[in-house]
Parts: sequence; C-alpha cells; structure tokens
Amino acid sequence: MKHKPNHDISKEHAAYLKSIRKREVFISAMRYLILLALIGLWEVFAATGILDPFIFSSPSRIVSTLVRLYSNGELFGHIGITLFETVVGFLLGTTLGTLVAIILWWSKTLCRIFDPYLVVLNALPKIALGPILIVWFGAGVESIIVMALLISLVVTVMSVLAGFQEITGEKQLLMRTLGASKLQIFSMVVFPASLPTIMSALKISVGMSWVGVIVGEYLVSEAGLGYLIVYGGQVFKLDLVMTSIVVLCVLAALMYYAVAFLEKKLTLRRSHA
Amino acid sequence: MEKIPLVTVEGVCLTYHEPTAETKAIDHLSFHIGRGEFVSIVGPSGCGKTSILSMLAGLMAPSEGSIRIRSTKRPGYMLQHDHLLDWRTIEGNIMLALEVKHIATEENCAYALRLLDTYGLSEFRYHYPRQLSGGMRQKVALIRTLAASPELLLLDEPFSALDYQTRLRIADEIHTILRAEGKTAVLVTHDIAEAISMSDRVLVFSNRPATLKTEHRILLSCNDATPLERRNSPEFKDYFDMIWKELDSYET
Ligand SMILES: Nc1ncnc2c1ncn2[C@@H]1O[C@H](COP(=O)(O)OP(=O)(O)OP(=O)(O)O)[C@@H](O)[C@H]1O
Ligand SMILES: [Mg+2]
Repeated sequence: MKHKPNHDISKEHAAYLKSIRKREVFISAMRYLILLALIGLWEVFAATGILDPFIFSSPSRIVSTLVRLYSNGELFGHIGITLFETVVGFLLGTTLGTLVAIILWWSKTLCRIFDPYLVVLNALPKIALGPILIVWFGAGVESIIVMALLISLVVTVMSVLAGFQEITGEKQLLMRTLGASKLQIFSMVVFPASLPTIMSALKISVGMSWVGVIVGEYLVSEAGLGYLIVYGGQVFKLDLVMTSIVVLCVLAALMYYAVAFLEKKLTLRRSHA
Repeated sequence: MEKIPLVTVEGVCLTYHEPTAETKAIDHLSFHIGRGEFVSIVGPSGCGKTSILSMLAGLMAPSEGSIRIRSTKRPGYMLQHDHLLDWRTIEGNIMLALEVKHIATEENCAYALRLLDTYGLSEFRYHYPRQLSGGMRQKVALIRTLAASPELLLLDEPFSALDYQTRLRIADEIHTILRAEGKTAVLVTHDIAEAISMSDRVLVFSNRPATLKTEHRILLSCNDATPLERRNSPEFKDYFDMIWKELDSYET
C-alpha cells in the first residue's frame, strides 16, 4: 500500500525516515566497497607475486581474456549456447513441472500413487543420470537440455504442488457453494492464490537449470561456458576458467533478477492499492 | 407462509465414514421453512448444524431421508469468514458468483452494483478486501451471495468472527437487507440472543446425533422492529431463559 506523500510529517518521523535512508546508503556503499576491495587485493597480490597468477589468475588477466574472446568472436558463441540451453531447460522444466503439479493436485489418487516415485526422484542426484542421457540423447545440446530440464522439473513439481495444497479448503468450499466446477475452482482460486509460491519456485528452478546445464556441458563438452571451464582446467589455462566463471556469475544473476522482476510485477499488480 | 414451504427436510439422517470411526451426525431430522421466513438453528457444539446446512446447500447428500427446496436458484451460503479473494477488487469479488455461473449479464452486474450502492459500499468498489474492516468485509460477502439472487440464504455463524459491537450492528444491517430483498434465511448461531432477535422461528437441536428438540415461534410485541430494538421487548427475556435452559440441559 502506498501512502500519499505527507507534507506535514512530525519531527520524529522525519528523523526516522532519515535513519532508514542512511542505513540504505550504508548498505549499498558497503556492497560496492567489498567488491572493489576484493578485486583490488586480488590484483595487487597477483602483481606482487603473493598469489601466483598462473594458478590464481588476476582481474587484469580476466579482462584481457575477455577482450581476446570477444575480438575473436568466441565469447558470444559460448554465452549464446549456454544461455539457450539454460532458458530452454528452465522453460520446459517449469512448464512441465507446473503441468504435472496441476494433474497431481487434480487427482488425489494419482498424487498418492506417484508420491513414492517423486520422493525417490527428488532424493536422487540427477547428475548420476548423465551417462544414460548421453547414450539416449547423444553427446550434444539435447542431453544438456534434458539434464537441466530434469533437475528443474522435480523441484518445480514438489514446490508448486505444495503451494496448491496449501490453499485452504474453505475457499474451495465457498466456490463449491457457488456451483463452481473443479476447473473454475482451480483457475479462479487455487492458481491465483498460489501464484506467490509458484514464483518463488521459479526462482529456485532458475538456479537448478544452471546447475543442470553446466554439469551437462562438463560431461558432453562441445561448446558453452561449462565447456570453457572444463577445457581451461584441462590445459591449465586458469585465466579462461576464471573468466568463464565471472561471465557465468553475471548471467545467472541477470536471469535471477529477471524472474524476481517478473515476480514483483505480478505481485504488485494484485496488491496494487 | 403456511402454504407450500420453500424447504422441506424429512427424516434426514447423516453418517460420516472415516477409516477409524463412523459418526452419526444427524438422526431423523424433519422441519420446513416457509417462503420469506427467517429461521435460526441453535444447538450444542458439534451437534450437526453445519452438516445440515451443507446438505441444504447441496454439498452433501443425506444418508437417509429427503431434502426438498422449491426454488430454481442455488441457495446462497455465508460462512464464518468472508473468504474474499485478496487479489480481486470488491467489484471483482461480488461478481464471483455471476462469473462462476456464466450469468454476468449487464442486468445482473447492474443489480450487484446496485446492492453495493444501496448498502453504502459503493465508494469501495475499486478497493481491495484488505482495505476494509471486518464488518464491511462481511457485508461484501453478503452482497456477493445476494448477487446471484438466491431465494434461500444459509448463514453459518456469519458474525462470530466479528467483535461484539460490530456484530450487533452488522446483524442489524444484514437482517434489514435480507428483509428488504425478501429473502428466506436459515441462520446457525451459538448466540441465543442473536437467534431470538433476528428470527421468526428458532429450532433447538439436541446433542449429536442432531434431532429437532423443540421449536419456538418468536412473537414479540415489536415484531417488525430491527433485531437491536427487538432485544428490548419484554418477552425477549422469557424466550432467552427458555432456550437457555433447554441448551443447558445438554451441556452436562
Ligand atoms: N467431514 C467430516 N468427516 C467426519 N466427521 C465429521 C465431518 N464433518 C463433521 N463431522 C462430525 O460430525 C459432527 C457434526 O459436525 P458439524 O460440523 O455439523 O457440527 P456443528 O453443530 O456445526 O458444530 P459447531 O457448533 O462446532 O459448529 C461432529 O461430531 C463432527 O466431528
Ligand atoms: Mg458448525
């Protein structure tokens, strides 16, 4: 709820607002400071030989590696492939996962039948399935996407289903007294009411898709950031490894914020005063 | 009123089956309710009052016996909590029943908005439920129920979540609304005074399994007054003591 700007606020309230603003400024200043300090110390230690740049790389070497990758045109190729695999795996995983959750919510019997399977699938480290996926889907992009899909699918099913089941029976009872069908109960009450849960499930699922894609690229290694990391490690080019990790950090953060932004948009609209 | 009743309940029994137990909730219950009547049901807690309302609403079928409602409209149901949908505006909430039944015609929507206007909530049309007080929310819940123009209204302790002051005022307002719209109502309550002040007739249920113990036709010297004024009539206390004693005999 947003209040209209109040011009005649009391002295205490003004002081209170000021203290909040001060703390906000302090927190963001500290965030940047820590980042700068880390980069600066790393650079200095590498330059003075306290850290061996051959093993630990350094910020300046990362930048020059980035420039080199960019100018020979490789950078966006690798980013593109990894990003593509992640987005496709994430979208497929969350849509399929939400669909499965809807079906399991719909039929209590199906839910009970599949419960032990879900528990086992959830407990199983999906990475163990890597070799099987490679045999089934070939040593290429397909296997990587399936890996990302698998990892985000199970998480999505579990958390979205839990979200649906959280919606109180009384709201559904109310809908039944109005003569609503099960589809109407779902689309008018259960789904909108669990939208916040679904959105936070998506945030977890984004991270899971990245795990799936990078692990997939470790195993299949043709192109992409995961490939660069593995390759860099094998030929002892730690600059390449560090550069790829930095790029990965930035991409993962961007994708997370994109989902968080979507979440904010959706929740803002419904609580808009 | 004594002509053909709107509701006829005849020899109704209800048994709940659970893996661990079987609970007989209602035992050969019979009563009728005339058109335009306001009937309250009081009874010890857990005796089966909500169960009979659920059957009247068509949510469950009786295990035995029959329930007949002579209306083409589905009864309206009001619960203890308003269950307004947080993500819909007040307007969106009162249109819920119309949307569910695919009868959101211009005429029906206009009727719902007119109700909102008549009962003093039109300024909140575009507000969200959490911006309203408990009493106002319960009134919105009533308008949501009335929007589909049911002939019969089932009220399951609709005031019990409100504080005492609001409760008296909202009971008064809702009673006036139901009278003005010419509705038939069945009210379940734990509050004997509320039952007497609002109804034409009070049904007293026995302990579980519920049977109809006694029924009281409420005739007060100021019968047409509002519930709040009816509480002051000289006969009020006699009815109260009578029903109190009947219920008290179950509590031991
Ligand atoms: N779905 C159910 N399954 C099994 N038993 C039930 C179910 N619903 C109610 N009961 C049992 O049936 C009996 C009557 O319940 P009901 O809710 O109708 O009572 P009530 O008179 O409305 O109670 P209260 O005064 O507490 O509102 C209770 O003993 C309750 O435990
Ligand atoms: Mg009850």
